[in-house]
Amino acid sequence: MAANQSQPLRPAPFSAPAWQLAPGLIIALALIGLVLLGLGALLHTAGTLEFEELWQSRYLRGVVWFTVWQAVLSVILSLLIALPVAMTLARLSHFPGRSLLLRLMELSLVLPTIVAVSGIIGVYGRQGWLTSLLNDWLPDHGWSLYGLNGILLAHVFFNAPLAARILLQALESVPAPRLRVASQLGLSGWWLWRAVRWPALRPVLPGVSALVFTLCFTSFAIIMTLGGGPRATTLEVAIYQALRFEFDFGQAAILATIQLVICGSLWWLVFRNRLESSLLPDRRFAETVSLKDSPGQGLGRVLLLGIFSVFLTLPLLAIALRGLPALWPASPMPSIYGQLLPATGRSLLIAVPAGLGAVVASLFTLAAANKPGNRILAAIPVTTGYLPLIVPPLVLGTGLFLLLRPQLGNSAQGWVLVSLINGLMAIPFVLQVLRGPLNAIDKNTLNQASQLGILGWYRWRWLHWPRLRRPIALGLAYGIALSLGDFGVIALFGSPGQPTLPVLLYQQLGSYRISEAAGTGLWLLLLLVTLFALLSRVARRAPGTNTEPAPAAAPEPRHA
Amino acid sequence: MLELRNLCFQYPDQSEEWRFHFSVAAGHCLAVRGASGTGKSTLLNLVAGFLAPKSGEILWNNQAIHNLPAWERPVTSVFQEHNLFEHLDVFTNIGLGLHPGMKLSCEQKLAIEQGLEQTGLGGFGARLPGELSGGQRQRVALLRAILRRKPVLLLDEPMTGLDPDARAIIRDLLLQEKASGITLILASHDEEDRKILADSNWNL
Repeated sequence: MAANQSQPLRPAPFSAPAWQLAPGLIIALALIGLVLLGLGALLHTAGTLEFEELWQSRYLRGVVWFTVWQAVLSVILSLLIALPVAMTLARLSHFPGRSLLLRLMELSLVLPTIVAVSGIIGVYGRQGWLTSLLNDWLPDHGWSLYGLNGILLAHVFFNAPLAARILLQALESVPAPRLRVASQLGLSGWWLWRAVRWPALRPVLPGVSALVFTLCFTSFAIIMTLGGGPRATTLEVAIYQALRFEFDFGQAAILATIQLVICGSLWWLVFRNRLESSLLPDRRFAETVSLKDSPGQGLGRVLLLGIFSVFLTLPLLAIALRGLPALWPASPMPSIYGQLLPATGRSLLIAVPAGLGAVVASLFTLAAANKPGNRILAAIPVTTGYLPLIVPPLVLGTGLFLLLRPQLGNSAQGWVLVSLINGLMAIPFVLQVLRGPLNAIDKNTLNQASQLGILGWYRWRWLHWPRLRRPIALGLAYGIALSLGDFGVIALFGSPGQPTLPVLLYQQLGSYRISEAAGTGLWLLLLLVTLFALLSRVARRAPGTNTEPAPAAAPEPRHA
Repeated sequence: MLELRNLCFQYPDQSEEWRFHFSVAAGHCLAVRGASGTGKSTLLNLVAGFLAPKSGEILWNNQAIHNLPAWERPVTSVFQEHNLFEHLDVFTNIGLGLHPGMKLSCEQKLAIEQGLEQTGLGGFGARLPGELSGGQRQRVALLRAILRRKPVLLLDEPMTGLDPDARAIIRDLLLQEKASGITLILASHDEEDRKILADSNWNL
């Protein structure tokens, strides 16, 4: 083992510092540019009109008022359900089916709204299961799913589990010693809340509320299907109608601007107060510390979780049970596939590039953001992560629609735009999935890698890739799933004659072909399940490396 | 010869300033002594290039190395723990020390296998670091450091927390290295380690 210096090595490919910063920066600038173009077109069109005059319109005021009102109600209802559910789940950290319930609660992130709506109609709609039961018991109940009822129900179905997951995460991050002290002191009820629960929840509540508000405020598919008439229309739907049916581009621009102002100022408030909360819940294990119970609480908890599970499961069950006969009827090749297969092709054609684009952009963004140095330069890629929250996809879509309207000849160009906007939409979620594992590498390991000259491509290949395989697969699955389920942007740019799966489902719902709609819903659901199963299989352990458990895809190891 | 000339360092939010000034001849072992918090790790990280000095110079054979990035310096570090990439197997961990992209020649692969045999780790190449004992992990880390053939070894408590047998094995390896002309800087709490390995002592 001689002491002479080894021969100088050729530098690692892509190891020049610029490679870490430049791609992320360029992607970010391109995306920001795209958004600015869209917004510019929007403001340009809106600017030529009299704001005040339009503000006089009863219709417009009604739309804005209803949009805000339903979003506020949805936030309140979702949190009212999410809080007790989260606290109960935090309390009961081991019971059979807990992880299944958590999975079910995560589903709301990727379940296409339009599919869920078809399930909800199957349960609570005019001929739904529960409505039929209600009809037998209470003949003149006056329940109707359509209108505010249905909108709130669907919003709660989506957002209560999401909020509960984030709140649960906050509760589980309470340090174990504090719980042990609370246990020893026998705290319960109000004082347990004051001493343990509230301090954990308070920092995330504004972020959660803002997130749920934004999601409900910009909700499109739910309003399109369950809303109706001028009395239950939101800004997004009004924009869509103005663009596609009334060809009133000025009005669309004004509505989009109003939406932008409201969403933008909300998130500005949230960020200004540094109230960021994570969008995607991590999986983490809390230590079990038994706390004092008051009598009767146990039963209440079981009941609460039971009802909540049924609430989440019923629509899915309705999709499965009603959809199966449509997909698997007596005849050898049911006619439904004639529409279903081309729609699937179109959906994948849009969704797969969107997912891939979101992952690549996210990776470069994180690489650039992690590069030490100029803070302003580093801030640019980070903003791409929040752009879609501040500028809702439909607003961006509207802007680009106005900008490109004369040139948009064939549907292929429209699909490219849809794919692009969908990819942009997915970036915050993909970033959230990748950020944790990427930043989990400690300083010491990075120092070692530097000393060994593991830089550039080599660093990616040997340090990051083995640890990021699973998160990347998961992020890709999220990205593709979000785009597969997109109904808003495609409604703007797509053509009814060449529907994607969600558009097809909407058309079938609209023409009361309920069984076909159920078939399409189930098909889309199966497609998503296949997608997640496939990608988690691809990301399995490679020889010689040990992939880190991904934050959400791993089957819950007890030890991290 | 490794020389530190008026090397001066300050952590960003601390008022205390560290100063180092000494030299070690090639093939010698300098033991750095001092309670924890006296700057032993800081010193080793400065030489390795993980920290940037405020002023002063580091020279190896009269050539300044303090402006070189970590991967171009003639040094290899071994820490008390976390020396290995936990997600990569033992063979890859060592191989990355020989070529940062694992482009290994047949001789290099052979050298790794032989090194593993010699250090009592034959057949461990496919294991993950998490499956090894603390002593075995340290042997892997040291083997990588040795196979890199850099003229200076920076040892930051490399034997702390190991059982007596493991310490003995590692000491022997280090003595061999010293005999072959490698320069060692050893930060250690342990009187015995210093007595066996060090040619000179330096108190911080």
